[in-house]
Amino acid sequence: MPRMQPAPIVYVVDDDPDVLKAIERLLESEGLRVAAFPSPRQFLERYDRDAAACLVLDLAMPELNGLELQAMLERQASHLPIIFLTGRGDIAASVRAMKQGAADFLTKPVDDALLIATIRDALARDRALRPARIERERIAKRLATLTERERQVLEQIVAGKLNKEIAAELGTVEKTVKFHRANLMHKMGVRVVADLVKLAERAGVGSTPRT
Amino acid sequence: MNWVEVTWIVMSAASLTLGVIQLLVWLKRRSQYAPLLFFALAASATGFGAFELAMMRAPSPVDYAATLRWAQVLLTILVLSIVWFVRLYFGAGRLWLAYLISGLRLLALGLNFVTGVNINFREVSALDQVYLWGGVAVSGPVGVANPWVIVPQITNVLLIAFVVDASIALWRRGGADARRRAAIIGGSLVLCISAVGAFAALIITGLLHAPTIVMPGVFIVVLAMGYELGWDVIAVGQLAAQLRASELRFRAVVEAVPSAILLVNDKGIITLANAQAETVFGYERAELVATPVEKLVPERFRRSHVGLRAGYAGDPQPRAMGVGRELFACRKDGSEVPVEVALSPMRTGDRLSVLVSVADITQRRQVEQASARQRDELAHLSRVAMLGELSGSLAHELNQPLTAILSNAQAAQRYLAQSPPRVDKLAEILTDIVKSDHRAGAVIQRLRSLLRKEEAQRHPLDVNEVVEESLRLMRSDLLNRQVVVSSELARELPAVNGDRTQLQQVLLNLLINGCDAMDGHRSDNRLIIRTQGTANGNVEVSVADKGAGIPSADLERIFEPFVTTKSHGLGLGLAICRSIVEAHGGRLWATNNPDRGATLHCELPRRVP
Repeated sequence: MPRMQPAPIVYVVDDDPDVLKAIERLLESEGLRVAAFPSPRQFLERYDRDAAACLVLDLAMPELNGLELQAMLERQASHLPIIFLTGRGDIAASVRAMKQGAADFLTKPVDDALLIATIRDALARDRALRPARIERERIAKRLATLTERERQVLEQIVAGKLNKEIAAELGTVEKTVKFHRANLMHKMGVRVVADLVKLAERAGVGSTPRT
Repeated sequence: MNWVEVTWIVMSAASLTLGVIQLLVWLKRRSQYAPLLFFALAASATGFGAFELAMMRAPSPVDYAATLRWAQVLLTILVLSIVWFVRLYFGAGRLWLAYLISGLRLLALGLNFVTGVNINFREVSALDQVYLWGGVAVSGPVGVANPWVIVPQITNVLLIAFVVDASIALWRRGGADARRRAAIIGGSLVLCISAVGAFAALIITGLLHAPTIVMPGVFIVVLAMGYELGWDVIAVGQLAAQLRASELRFRAVVEAVPSAILLVNDKGIITLANAQAETVFGYERAELVATPVEKLVPERFRRSHVGLRAGYAGDPQPRAMGVGRELFACRKDGSEVPVEVALSPMRTGDRLSVLVSVADITQRRQVEQASARQRDELAHLSRVAMLGELSGSLAHELNQPLTAILSNAQAAQRYLAQSPPRVDKLAEILTDIVKSDHRAGAVIQRLRSLLRKEEAQRHPLDVNEVVEESLRLMRSDLLNRQVVVSSELARELPAVNGDRTQLQQVLLNLLINGCDAMDGHRSDNRLIIRTQGTANGNVEVSVADKGAGIPSADLERIFEPFVTTKSHGLGLGLAICRSIVEAHGGRLWATNNPDRGATLHCELPRRVP
């Protein structure tokens, strides 16, 4: 990494204060940066969405249980890796959790080596995927600023069409296409068409393969 | 002696005899003055008979007048006795009239000594020889009437009025006895007083030359009254016979009763004991009667029993003794038997006796104990079954502290492995490990107490505590089933007397049932557990669910064994819960909520210290 990144955070959520404190202490003894929350609500209010992190989550909790919190994070387009901790080997719940994209599913009492290894694994995966995801999100953000027309023009450019062809396709004149093209390149922050195409590819714009 | 002398002597003697009989009656019963008044009446009649005989045989007018003057004393006593006898014996007659007659008669007696030669004559100038039947000659007065004679004559008229009025009042009051009395005494009095009065008036005014013959009339009155009073003596005898019969019946009943019966007087002395009392207490009847009842009370209660007895005398009502407490009687051999005692007061005269009925309930106790044992065993079995349902929850409750212990211990190992070792962290970690260990121990303890099989015991319990304990046991299960419990626990509830484990079992059952009722209703799975004081001072615990409710036909049926709406379970839970609650003297019932779901209510009686 070219820049010095802050240490990743391990979020722990468990409604049992004794367990919460013990897990927090165990992870701290390993030198990890831990943020512990006694309830999903407090976690939702306080967690840092942009930080590199993973979540160690208790399955059974009052008000909002682990699976519900997982679904909620999914809806918020969070990619936080979640490691479930559960008191009982509930197969149905574990299958559901894994289908919803859980990083792992561990049973209590959990052995330190296993827990720490799983956490490190999850953090490493988060670290590996994070730059690409950040990039994707940056592009997506820019794409969101395009007008409907600009987006149509972009798709045509990515498809390798010339201005004249685009104008014909969209039922307008070449001059207008040029104007849109300049605007969208400015909005996407690129100077040359090659960069624009690369960006669009990463963001998955233009499903039609180039010939 | 001629027949006149004989007759007058016989009448006097007969009057005296009748009088003395009633005097004896009065001496036995001093509170009754009627016999005493009759004695005065009869005695004065006796004396008057003698005076009258003397007058008939008077040798000179002076002797005649003097004798008649002194005879007035006896006549006055006679009139006064009649007035007050009627007043007392009839319980009727106008009081003012009685006083007026008495006053006038005393006034006449006074005038008798200060005017004329007596109240009848101003002077007796001569004596007539009057020949009666059989040629007997007697003296009759010839003289001038004393104008004051009007006073005794008015008195006589008033006396007749008084007697008539009293007789009518008595007659109206009804009753065969009263009417006979009114007719005989009232009739004879009116008849004789008017006859004698009229006869005397004729002689005094000189219209009739005859001796004064008053005694026969007086004697008839004495006879009539004596007859009535004698009737009373007979009635007393009959009453005594009835009383003896009633006493015999009472004893026969007392002997036949299957309980021990004791009659205890106001001093606490046993005055009567039946055959069953010998069996229950092991004493001979002779050893019971005339001894203090406290000897049948176990030593440790004797002292307080004396006070309780005095308390009962203050408010004597038929009631059971020692309500709500177990009573024991002490047998002759020193052993104790459980008893049930009923008390009822018996008032004789001014003295209060208590009829004590004692039932030996040893056998009933044994049956009760056997069925209690069975109930406890069944409760235990159902508890074990219920714990099966809760096992997941209990495992989780145990797993939590174990998780904390393991992680803490491994954290400690890691701190120790660092160089230099982070010893500073250890104290805190060890404290937490100990805490978690206690927590696991408490779970095991709760589990063990629920699994334990022992006789139900009664202790003073705080129902809120039992509720909280049950919720702790259910915690994980409730979480897992996504059921939220809100508890509304009333403060300052009275304590109840109960078996902690069994009441906890009831509450757990109600909570599990509430959760089951809401399975499949995924939204708003809420149970409300509430404790409150009832209007009659007891404690009610209720568990309300938001399920489908109970069909009204089944509200009572769900407490029958083997009736269940669930796919699992035997349907014994609520039946056993009800038997547990009822064994605690409480009630368990179900109602449907106005909006949604059902509520199970459990009322437990407050503890009576």
